[in-house]
Amino acid sequence: MLHVENLSASISGTPILEGLDLNVEAGEVHAIMGPNGSGKSTFAHALAGRDGYEVGGTATLDGADLLAMEPEARAAAGLFVGFQYPVEIPGVNNVYFLRTALNSVRRARGEEEIGARDFLAVAREAMDLVEMKKDFLNRSVNAGFSGGEKKRNEILQMAVMQPRLALLDETDSGLDIDALQTIAAGVNSLRSPERSIVIITHYQRLLDFIKPDFVHVLVGGRIVKSGDHTLAHHLEDHGYAGFVNHDLDGAPERPLSRTAS
Amino acid sequence: MTANVTATAVSDRPAHSSAGRFDGIERPTRRDEAWRYAPHDLLGRLTFGPPPASIEPAPTLIGDRIPSLSGPRIVIVNGAVDSKQSDVTALPDGLRLVGLAADSAGPTGLVAAHFDTHSGFAADAFVTINRTFGIGGALIEVADGHRLDAPIHLVDLVEPDDNRNTACRGAVIHLGEASSATIVETRIGSGTAFGGLNTRTSITLEAGATLEHILLQDMPATQVHLSRVEVTQRAGSTLRARSFNLGAAYGRVAYDVHLAGVGAHADLSGLYFGSGDQTLDQQITVVHAARDCTSRQSYRGVLDDESTGVFNGGIDVRPGADGTDAQQSNDNLLLSKRAEANTQPRLEILADDVACKHGATVGQLDDAALYYLRTRGITATDARRLLIDAFAGQAVDDIESDAVRTWIRERIGTSDA
Repeated sequence: MLHVENLSASISGTPILEGLDLNVEAGEVHAIMGPNGSGKSTFAHALAGRDGYEVGGTATLDGADLLAMEPEARAAAGLFVGFQYPVEIPGVNNVYFLRTALNSVRRARGEEEIGARDFLAVAREAMDLVEMKKDFLNRSVNAGFSGGEKKRNEILQMAVMQPRLALLDETDSGLDIDALQTIAAGVNSLRSPERSIVIITHYQRLLDFIKPDFVHVLVGGRIVKSGDHTLAHHLEDHGYAGFVNHDLDGAPERPLSRTAS
Repeated sequence: MTANVTATAVSDRPAHSSAGRFDGIERPTRRDEAWRYAPHDLLGRLTFGPPPASIEPAPTLIGDRIPSLSGPRIVIVNGAVDSKQSDVTALPDGLRLVGLAADSAGPTGLVAAHFDTHSGFAADAFVTINRTFGIGGALIEVADGHRLDAPIHLVDLVEPDDNRNTACRGAVIHLGEASSATIVETRIGSGTAFGGLNTRTSITLEAGATLEHILLQDMPATQVHLSRVEVTQRAGSTLRARSFNLGAAYGRVAYDVHLAGVGAHADLSGLYFGSGDQTLDQQITVVHAARDCTSRQSYRGVLDDESTGVFNGGIDVRPGADGTDAQQSNDNLLLSKRAEANTQPRLEILADDVACKHGATVGQLDDAALYYLRTRGITATDARRLLIDAFAGQAVDDIESDAVRTWIRERIGTSDA
């Protein structure tokens, strides 16, 4: 599925990611945790293809070289990145945007486009999944949305796009407990043996609702520790301080990492 | 399919040379604020004369070049009514629609007022020229209390010839008390020869009348479009003016609106969409001359390549026009580093209790929004188009006629969301 090896990223010569390795197999849920400034969002943008980074190393999704692709080709290859700060786009209607997005990747894959009527059913199902109100259909993309609505819209988009791999960047930040549960339920319902999910988060809280198979600690642009879901609780109790100093005593060990097969 | 030709000729016009250059009238220069960004070299090459007596050779067919509206229409070729392509049969009750021609006895009533040099609207050289030669055109009268559903269409087509390359034409529109109508003026041209069109439209809205006036300018890039619309509004009347300034080397759209009656409302908006080395110029003035009138000016420009957009918007609140509520906005989207937007608000307020707002923006496509759309699989080209559409769409969305809306969206290459 997703294989990231020795990934580096810098902005204007300032390194942010410095040799990040990550292997995610089909059906797995991984969590990447780390303190502020550790490179979590940069990892999401480097995979999504944002301009302005000097990127090195490799990242492949189902064997396709993501780093060589335009952002739209990465989406067509099955990548979905849910952003920490979704962009407001006044004047672009949500339904039109979603249908254009879905039909763009379908076209790129040589699949038949979906008609307006059939798409409405797809959109309604995705709206129900994250409890989005009806007026969503007539509103512009994220324009005037509350913080919670924006995050729910990311999961809604994920449900429409049905990606192979979803990378969710701080989807939990700024949410109250009810919104957190709604989002977690949405993500859980999208878990499947064919789909993998990578959750980037600062806090362990979301992982109470979406139980990851693996937890990784990202510090200083590298993954310094990997383990199972108990690692998240360890971080909750002890913070990142120990990892910043690379003092890993007492932290649970990662189960032997699986190799690509 | 024939246009009634009514009596119109005009006695009280300045003398003119038989054809060609118009001497003795001072043309505007770059020092005139209203003509600052105009291509004066092109203006200097325009030649004028009376409309042709007949339309020869056979006119270009216009079918797919204009919005196909159901309803009456008058087609004017080089300033003269083209009966074959006009349709003034089966007019609805309350509508008088006639073509104006040069060969008639003398103007009366509304048409005479159109040529009256003491109308109160400022004249420039091209208005003066239009008064002289713009004797072909159309008269539209809607009787008191009649509300017309089907839009009325005036189509101008210019095919420049050697004798005089610029056509002049006039239109007179009168809406009676509590009447309403939609009027679409479409300006197109053909051929690759240099030339132009100089139009003048005089509009009077009686008390309680409502007019939607749509102006579509899509002339060839070899031509010049000069257009002036003068509006007088009586008490409680409403104007909704929508201009789409798209074609021509120099596309000028001028509205002078005079709010003369208490509680009149003028809502003007427009879109200009430039590419190549086009200059698209909006010259808008709203005069508040009565109490409790409201006005809105909302103009948006999308400018690509080396095109230039101009918005010169005036709000003129006269003494005694208390309770005025006037707003103005001009927003520009530059798609190229070489494109240019010029915006100039002119506010003169001589009354009390006036609410007046204006604002202008110049921006580029939002990189963060482009990136966001592309991460959802939308190609860079489509993402740009979506954002341009989002910016321009607001000017298009509230047009009631499906045919006009569809035509504009197809013309500016955006999709119907």
